[in-house]
Amino acid sequence: MEEQFPAIIVAVPLFAALLVTLVWWFDNRFCFPIAILAGTVSLAASAGLLLRVLSTGVVEYRMGGWPPPVGIVYRVDHLNGLFLVVISAVSLLNLAGSRTIAKKEFGEKLGAFYALYLLFITGLLGILITGDAFNLYVLLEIASLTGYALIGMGRRRAPLSSLNYVFMGTIGASLYLLGVGYLYLITGTLNMADIARILPAILPSNVVLLAFILCLSGLFVKMALFPLHAWLPNAYTYAPSTVSSLVAPLTTKVMIYVMFRVTLSIFTVDFAFNSIAVRLPLLWLAIVAIVMGSLLALAQKRLKKMLAFIIVAEVGYMVGGFWLGNRAGMNGAVLHIINDAAMTLCVFMAAGAIVYKTEDDRLSSLQGMFRKMPVSMTAMVVGGLSLIGVPPTCGFFSKWYLISGGIAAGQFAFVAALIFSSLVNTVLFFRFFEIGYFEPFPPEKTRHHGHTGYLAQSKEMAEAPLDVLVPLITAAVLVILLGLFSGEIVTRVIQFAIPAVIG
Amino acid sequence: MRTLGLIAAFCLGGLLFFISFDFPSWGDALSPASRHVSPYYIEHSLEDTSVPNIVTAVLADYRGFDTLFETAVIFSAGLACFFLVRVSERQVPAARFYRHLATGITFRIEKGGRLPEGTGEFERIDSLWVPYDVIIGMTCRLVVPFIQLFALYVIAHGHHSPGGGFQGGVIFGAAIILFAISTNLRRTLKRMSERSSALLSSLGVLIYAGTGLLCLFMGAGFLNYRALAAILGVDQVAARSDGILIVESGVGIAVAAVMVWIYYNLSSAGKQDEGL
Repeated sequence: MEEQFPAIIVAVPLFAALLVTLVWWFDNRFCFPIAILAGTVSLAASAGLLLRVLSTGVVEYRMGGWPPPVGIVYRVDHLNGLFLVVISAVSLLNLAGSRTIAKKEFGEKLGAFYALYLLFITGLLGILITGDAFNLYVLLEIASLTGYALIGMGRRRAPLSSLNYVFMGTIGASLYLLGVGYLYLITGTLNMADIARILPAILPSNVVLLAFILCLSGLFVKMALFPLHAWLPNAYTYAPSTVSSLVAPLTTKVMIYVMFRVTLSIFTVDFAFNSIAVRLPLLWLAIVAIVMGSLLALAQKRLKKMLAFIIVAEVGYMVGGFWLGNRAGMNGAVLHIINDAAMTLCVFMAAGAIVYKTEDDRLSSLQGMFRKMPVSMTAMVVGGLSLIGVPPTCGFFSKWYLISGGIAAGQFAFVAALIFSSLVNTVLFFRFFEIGYFEPFPPEKTRHHGHTGYLAQSKEMAEAPLDVLVPLITAAVLVILLGLFSGEIVTRVIQFAIPAVIG
Repeated sequence: MRTLGLIAAFCLGGLLFFISFDFPSWGDALSPASRHVSPYYIEHSLEDTSVPNIVTAVLADYRGFDTLFETAVIFSAGLACFFLVRVSERQVPAARFYRHLATGITFRIEKGGRLPEGTGEFERIDSLWVPYDVIIGMTCRLVVPFIQLFALYVIAHGHHSPGGGFQGGVIFGAAIILFAISTNLRRTLKRMSERSSALLSSLGVLIYAGTGLLCLFMGAGFLNYRALAAILGVDQVAARSDGILIVESGVGIAVAAVMVWIYYNLSSAGKQDEGL
C-alpha cells in the first residue's frame, strides 16, 4: 500500500467529494463525517509519504503505469513532501472546526459546500504533488473554480468580489497556460524534469524567456503580489467565515510554492538566477509589496479586511526571501510558507468564531470581547504575535531566517521593509488588543447592527461552541509548536529541499 | 486606468507577435514538439492500447489522469452553478397561470390561492408563455431520439473515429435541452428531475475515479487499466482498450448530466419553477 500513497493523497478527496454529492440528496448528516474521513486519510498518506521521502529520497509515481515523458508522473521531494503534510493538516483542521458555522452559513446546501471543499483540497494537493506542468494547470483550474464558488456564497458584496476574482484568476491561469504552451513548443514535452533536462541545450532563447515571464506573471496574479493584489482583500473579506479560513491560509501559499517549483525545477537555478537579470527587480517588487500591504492594512476598519492586507504583505516576505537567491533567504521563504499557513489559519479561524457570534467584523464592535470570548480572542492574539514575530511563536523564526538572508545578500532595503512591516503588525494587533481588552462591553448595545442576528438576539454574548474552539486552540498550539521545532524542520527537511547550487 | 489597461494589452500583444518569429516554422517535421514525445504516441499507441485513434489513446490512457480532472472541472462547474444560483424550493411565485384544457381559458391565481393541481382539467403554463408551435414541437419530438442515439454512437465509436465521452456527452445533453426548449422546464423536470441530473453528474465522474481506484486496489497504479484484465477476462492490451471505453462512458454521463443541471439552474434563475 505504501507505494500507492501519492495517488491516494489526491484520489481519496476527489472520490469523497463525489460521494458527498451522491449521499447528500438522501441524507445531510453523512457529508461531514465523509469529508473528515477523506481529509484524515489524505493527511495520513501525506505524512507517510514525507517519512518515506526523508528515508529514501525522491519518490516517483506513474499514473496509468506510463513512464515520465509519455505519461503523467507525481514526483515528491522534500519541498512538496513537506507542503503536502502542511496543506492537508491545515485544511483538515479548518474542516473540523467548520461544522457549526457552515450549518449556519449554508443551510440546506451543506452537501454542496462539503463537496466543493473537498474538490478544492484535491486541487491544491494535486498542484503540490504533480511533476507535470500541464497537469498542474488542470488542478489549478479545479482549485480556482471551487474557490470562486465558495467565496461567492458570502454575504453582501461577496458575489461581486468573487466575480472580480474570477476575472483576475482567469487571466493569471491563462498566462501560466500560455507559458506552458511555449515551453511545449520549444521542448516537445510537458514533464517538468524533462523540460529542465532539455532547456540548457536551447538557451539562450527568446521563447523560453517569454515563457518564463508569462508563467511568473500569471503566478503573481494568482498569489496576489502587490500591484496585482486587487482581487484578494474583498474576496477574503466577504467570503463566508469557513471559506476565508480555508482559502486565506492555502491559496496564496500554494501559488508561491508553484513559483518555487517552476523556477527551480523547470527553468533551473542557472537560468533564473544567473542568465537573466530578474532577481533584483523581483526583489524590489517584493519590498514594495511588503510596505504597501502593511500600509493598507493600517487603514482598514474591518477585522477580516485588515487580515487580508496582512496577507498581501506576507506574500512579499516569501517572494522576496526566494529572490534573495541565497540559502538563508530560501530557508526563510520555505519555512515562512509553513508558518504563514499556520498563523493565517489561526487568525482567520479566530475571526470566524468572533464573527459567528457578533455578526459584525468591524474592529469597533470588538469592545470588551476578551471577557465574553476569552478563548477566541486569545487565539487571535497568539496568531497576531506570530505575525508580528515574537518568540516563541513560529513567525519569529522564519522572519529571523529572512532577515539574516537579507543581510547576507546585502539587501538592506528588504531587511528594513521586514522590520517596518513587523512594526505595523505590532500597531495593528495592539489596537485590536486595546479595543477588546480595555474598552468595556457596551451593555445597552444589541450586538447586531441591523443584521438578522438571531443568535445575538436570543442569547447573551458568550464563547463560541466547543467544536469550533477545539480546532481553533489546536491551531494556536500549532503556531507555537512550529516555532519550537523550527530548527528541526529546517535541518531535517528544508535544507534538502533547496538545490545544492544555491550557496 | 483604461489607457493603462490598453497599453498593457498592446505590450503583451506586441511581445507575443514578435516572439512568434522565433517559433519553429509551421508544420515543421523537425520541430521539438514533433520529435520528442509525439512520435512515441504515433508509433506505439496501437500496440500499447489497441486503440486506432491516437487522440483517444493519449486522452484517456497516456494522459488519462488529466482527463479525469477535466471531467472533475466540468462537474465542479455544475456544482458551483447549483451552489450559487439555486434558490430554495419553498419560495412560491407571486402568481401562477393555469389553462383550462377543455375551454382554453387561462386563469391567473394569486399567491395563497387554491391551485387546481391534480384535477387533470388544468395545465400549468409559464407567466411568459408563448403558444407552442406545432411544427417546432413535432420536429423536436422526432429529432430528439435520433440525436440521443447519435450521441451514444459518438461515445462508443471514440476508439476508431473522432469522438468520445466529451463530444457524445455534449450531444446527449443538447438533446435533452432541445426537448426542454421546445416544451417547457416542468415537463422536462418530470422526465429527468434535478436530483437525477445531479446524481448522474457525480456518478459519471465516480465511474472514472472508481475505475482508477479499482486499478489501484488490484495492485497496479492508479488508472492503470492493465489491472482490469483479471476482472474482464481479457489480455492486458485489450483491458486498456476496455478501460478507455469505461471511463469514456463515465465522461459521457457526467458531461450530459452537468449540461442539463446547469441549464435547469440558469434558465429558471435557480427557481426551477418557470423557465424556458
